[in-house]
Amino acid sequence: MNKSIITLISLGLTFISCFVYAVEESYPFDDVQQQKIFGELVEELRCPKCQNQNIADSNAMVAIDLKNKTYELVKQGQSKDQVIDFMVQRYGQFVHYDPPINMVTIWLWLVPIAIALILVVFVLKKGRREKLGSEVDANSLDQAQAIIDKLESKGKS
Amino acid sequence: MKNYKLLIPIVAFLLVSIFLYKGLYSDPTNIENANLAKPFPEFQLADLMDENRLYSKADLLGEYTLINVWGTWCVTCRVELPFMTQLRQQGVKIVGVYYDNAAEAAFGELDVRQTRREVTEMLAQLGNPFQFNIYDEKRDLSLDLGVTGAPESFLIDDKGTIIAHRRGAIDHRVWQNEFAPLLPNNHGSNLSEQQK
Repeated sequence: MNKSIITLISLGLTFISCFVYAVEESYPFDDVQQQKIFGELVEELRCPKCQNQNIADSNAMVAIDLKNKTYELVKQGQSKDQVIDFMVQRYGQFVHYDPPINMVTIWLWLVPIAIALILVVFVLKKGRREKLGSEVDANSLDQAQAIIDKLESKGKS
Repeated sequence: MKNYKLLIPIVAFLLVSIFLYKGLYSDPTNIENANLAKPFPEFQLADLMDENRLYSKADLLGEYTLINVWGTWCVTCRVELPFMTQLRQQGVKIVGVYYDNAAEAAFGELDVRQTRREVTEMLAQLGNPFQFNIYDEKRDLSLDLGVTGAPESFLIDDKGTIIAHRRGAIDHRVWQNEFAPLLPNNHGSNLSEQQK
């Protein structure tokens, strides 16, 4: 008796969640190409409110608005770049997950390369210096040998 | 020479520490609005209380104006209403942009009459800072403004250029530091701390 009620409830919940999902996906397109652009855009555009989600994932008010706007613009036949420009004009570069390379962002690529180069130079230089340092001149070797000999003869006696 | 070489890692370490320390306390939500220093977007929207009264950008020009994006459903907006009412009494022109709740709108038509009732009630209770309210029913104007939620405020000059922006409530301190210095006659700067 108890079990059947639980089964019924969970079945009901399954259908409700199906329905909610269906509402989320309700952006119909006649054109497959447009559908593809829309799919890419909602993955690439970032929700300005909930910062680590794209607008496809987010249910924040502003993300829903951006999704609707994206749908509207794509339906009008705008290209992917045009829609991105539209959003960037209003919400700044922040809204796009793939920012362009410019004077501000170029350092993200340059600094790691520079550090890697500096490290390579440093290691090479250090390696050469150690190699030089390990060559002991003959005089010192003779002296060391003399001390060892001395100690050994002491030990024997 | 040796001391100088020793300094390099220490200085590098300090620089990295300062950089990371700043990151530790920086607010990731504090992103500058992309519309700052640009002209206010064009729009054509009705009054919140009267759908036959239409407003456009021309209604905002000629005077420094504070544009406040708000809604009755938004808790922080309640907090700033009394302070902004004081600003209005000091002579600051404030215009509301009513930001409807998309979560409710998603489940069918919002009843504008109910919204009007709620607005009237709330403004009667907490003070009415607005000369008029623009009803941004579809939130298109808010989207053009790069609004991420309510409340947000924009200060525009007499020619309609956005000269300041605030995400979140405006209180005495924010007004004093970020908005009052930009006004030609420094309105609201003589509000006392106790009054808020």
